Amino acid sequence: MTGWHGTLLHVDLAAGTSRVEPIPRDLLLGYLGGRGLGVRLLRGAHTLDPFHADMPLIFAVGPLCGTPAPTAARLNVVSRSPLTGTVYDCSAGGRFAHRLKAAGFDALRIVGRSPRPAAISVTPEGGEILPAGSLWGKSVGETVRALEGRGSVAAIGPAGENGVLFASILMGEGNAVGRGGLGAVMGGKNLKAIAVNGSRSTGIADRARFERARQDVMRLFRASPVIFGELGISEYGTPALVDLMRQRRMAPTENFRKTVFEGSGSYSGPSIRKAYGSKKDGCHGCPIQCKKSDREGAHLPEYETVSHFGALNGIDDLGSIVRSNRLCNELGMDTISAAATLAAWGEGRGRFPAADEVEGLLADMAFLRGEGGLLAQGSRRVAQALGKPGLSMSVKSLELPAYDPRGAYGMALAYCTSNRGGCHLRAYPISHEILRKPVATDRFSFSGKARIIKIAEDTNAAVDSLVACKFSFFGATLEEYAEMLAAVTGEEFGPQSLKEIGERICLTERFYNCANGFDAKDDRLPERFFREPGSSGEGIEIPPIDEKRFDEELRKYYRIRGLTPEGTFSDPGYLSRLP
Amino acid sequence: MRDQIARYAGKLLADRSALPGHIAFAAHDDVLLSEGHPKLARLCEGVLSSLSCLGLAAARPSLPFADFLVRRAGKEASRIVPQDTETRTFLHDIPFLRRDELGNDAPARIADLLGSRKGMIAEGLGIVAAGAVTVEQAYIHYSSIFHAAFVKYLLDVLSEGFRLPGEREAFEEFRRSWLRPLDAEGLAFRGAPLEAPEEILKEIAAVGRYTVERGLVDSFFGNISLRAGGTIYISQTAASLDDLAGRIDPVPMDNSSTTGITASSELLAHRRIYEESCGRAILHGHPKFAVAMSMVCEEKGCSVTDCWRDCDKVRWLGDTPVVAGEIGAGGLARRVPPVIAGPRKAMVYGHGVFTLGLDGFADAFRAMVDVENGCRREYFRRLSPKLAG
Repeated sequence: MTGWHGTLLHVDLAAGTSRVEPIPRDLLLGYLGGRGLGVRLLRGAHTLDPFHADMPLIFAVGPLCGTPAPTAARLNVVSRSPLTGTVYDCSAGGRFAHRLKAAGFDALRIVGRSPRPAAISVTPEGGEILPAGSLWGKSVGETVRALEGRGSVAAIGPAGENGVLFASILMGEGNAVGRGGLGAVMGGKNLKAIAVNGSRSTGIADRARFERARQDVMRLFRASPVIFGELGISEYGTPALVDLMRQRRMAPTENFRKTVFEGSGSYSGPSIRKAYGSKKDGCHGCPIQCKKSDREGAHLPEYETVSHFGALNGIDDLGSIVRSNRLCNELGMDTISAAATLAAWGEGRGRFPAADEVEGLLADMAFLRGEGGLLAQGSRRVAQALGKPGLSMSVKSLELPAYDPRGAYGMALAYCTSNRGGCHLRAYPISHEILRKPVATDRFSFSGKARIIKIAEDTNAAVDSLVACKFSFFGATLEEYAEMLAAVTGEEFGPQSLKEIGERICLTERFYNCANGFDAKDDRLPERFFREPGSSGEGIEIPPIDEKRFDEELRKYYRIRGLTPEGTFSDPGYLSRLP
Repeated sequence: MRDQIARYAGKLLADRSALPGHIAFAAHDDVLLSEGHPKLARLCEGVLSSLSCLGLAAARPSLPFADFLVRRAGKEASRIVPQDTETRTFLHDIPFLRRDELGNDAPARIADLLGSRKGMIAEGLGIVAAGAVTVEQAYIHYSSIFHAAFVKYLLDVLSEGFRLPGEREAFEEFRRSWLRPLDAEGLAFRGAPLEAPEEILKEIAAVGRYTVERGLVDSFFGNISLRAGGTIYISQTAASLDDLAGRIDPVPMDNSSTTGITASSELLAHRRIYEESCGRAILHGHPKFAVAMSMVCEEKGCSVTDCWRDCDKVRWLGDTPVVAGEIGAGGLARRVPPVIAGPRKAMVYGHGVFTLGLDGFADAFRAMVDVENGCRREYFRRLSPKLAG
């Protein structure tokens, strides 16, 4: 078998042991790796509390990792989110995934709670649990520097140690396992960091076939204006979207009260380049290099971060935004949820934070100081505590990113059907509703969107299990990636078979969520989007979303998925029929 | 969904790529529906029910070229590999099923192929193409395969002659009846340099429509722009040139804004052409004879194997320069600008034609018509010994 090693490393922090386990071939063929494999490995523990000692924290790479497949040096981290209560996974780049694969493992599964602060060192020989008392309380950067002799490092900051519900795990190269608080799950296990190292190669069954497919992918990248266009993400990073979202009048502003922020030009892609001399940076082996760093090599913020620390809080000070981003990364906190929680709190108290207040508030969050203790629980709990639950702009407690759903109706639906809460990446309808890839769809229409979202969710679940970066699919398609997968593994795959695997993964996640009490009542947008218009102008109307039409499309989605009208499973034995 | 089906069935008729009465579409929302030719519609439903796609198109092409290509293919072949840039980039190859392979379960056999490719040829039935997320996408893939088969057949006949019974007669009928004289007669172009954005947008939309109506582009290929002051007004990526209203991006020449991230993949080529010439309007189309003739290269002993990407020569077809270069950042934007300023026209290997207008689109449009007519004449001149027989 090529592509996969067929083994995982199981580490029990409570027992202080580790062992290598085989992964059955049918699980690899049925779930690929990354998100799919991680979700499958979670089965049986999926109803445990996220902070339960036996709740697994799983790092899983994919069959393309370790090969020259473009954007495939990634992994997914899977567990249950303390912020949302849903099954949770997050894809991340950097070098960690590549090193984990090179250590000879397709997955690292961590269970138990260490009696004292610990770190794990992973090598081809297995896992070693190291004392990490001296690292506890340290920033991500300090922790990474302390362990870098042991390979690539994934670490939490003080936010993860202190149980901030949206704490991240940061790769040493600055890539975040963000959003749902898996940093807090890691902190709950008293696990400060993981270092991985190895030099094993990943086999490729048919190198000539692989190279043809790789060339096809690169040709499509070069043909894509979003990827390699002169105004695309390779040049400007994801802040290339700032001007576009302003022009489309769907940039969330002042906690989604408005959809245009007149000061957004101060943090656009060209403005960041001018102010910081942005250079290309990015994940191991990635040709796109969409991350940007300044002249000294420090990472610059992504689109979601500039927009939420900017427009969402009414701040047009680029310096403040850049500092907020860096602080979140050092403290180990998700930038989207941190900024959105501040915005909800700001609206609730009648004043959004000023640019010079934000850093202090972020530090208070990470260390649970003063009002930071409340803010550390995310916007839904903050809004409830303020007696204004409607101010949390979240779905299933996950704060919405920087695409106002009143400006893209597929996005509105996808926020609600996402198995991990209000996330733009599960179906990524911005790709076709705004960026016109693979073709354009009418952003102000629900027509066909239920089917489109279902297909895109399945597709992206497969992408997250290969594991490849979703930005690749602004150019390439599953056709070319299936061809590379077939060339690597020697097993035949096509777009259709990958989408069927993706469907299995999405339904498994949904089943887990239903087992934890989620149903149609949780697939809801905040009321604001049905009651209040966005900022119309320049010939573009941004009305409230038609709630009746939204509900119709959501019911269609349930039918297409084979779910009950309540969004649940009629067959309680569904999982038992899957590999 | 039904309005989308009606729209794209209409486009297949308008662009004369499908036989009237032999068109069907299916769409899969929460229910599966189909429209059109009853047998093809049933086929569409059967195929689409096995695929994770939203739309499907099946139609008999108005020309028998796709079927001829299948019959000309070797016995062991299961796919054709057209060499035009669009196929190379987006389709890769086109699988087919011969008449005797369709058997009693044609939908399953076709769905099996569409599980890996965007479209296929079913001999005797037609072209079947899937759209993963829209009905429009199924139409685009049908149109792309029709275009690819057209160009490949022209080239195969030119190099190998006629090999099947009835082929020559069908080709002569195509030349006599299907091909129409190509000209710019009756089209209105704005004369004076345009400055007002509303006027510019209207003119671009009108000229884009002309290029489709006169057969200079298929589906959503091609792009168009006009420069006014420090702004390039350019068609968006994946926009049909006959439907550009609201799909034109104003892009500042100094890159001070990134709203043009949705602009055509050839924005870089357009910008460099404007920087290196005094032109104000650019038209880029994929007229079929020009695409075919751009790949007729008589260079002997050449060591280049990837002609689309690596050829750095400037060849001439009549008075039109021909250069290589792939789409977007693939080299086209580097090789076209140096050669287009003088002749105000250029061809790209396997891809299409760029033309340049000094004040507006009138001269650019006429130049593209002239290039395609020249390529038609040259093609038939070279083919005449084989036609004579």
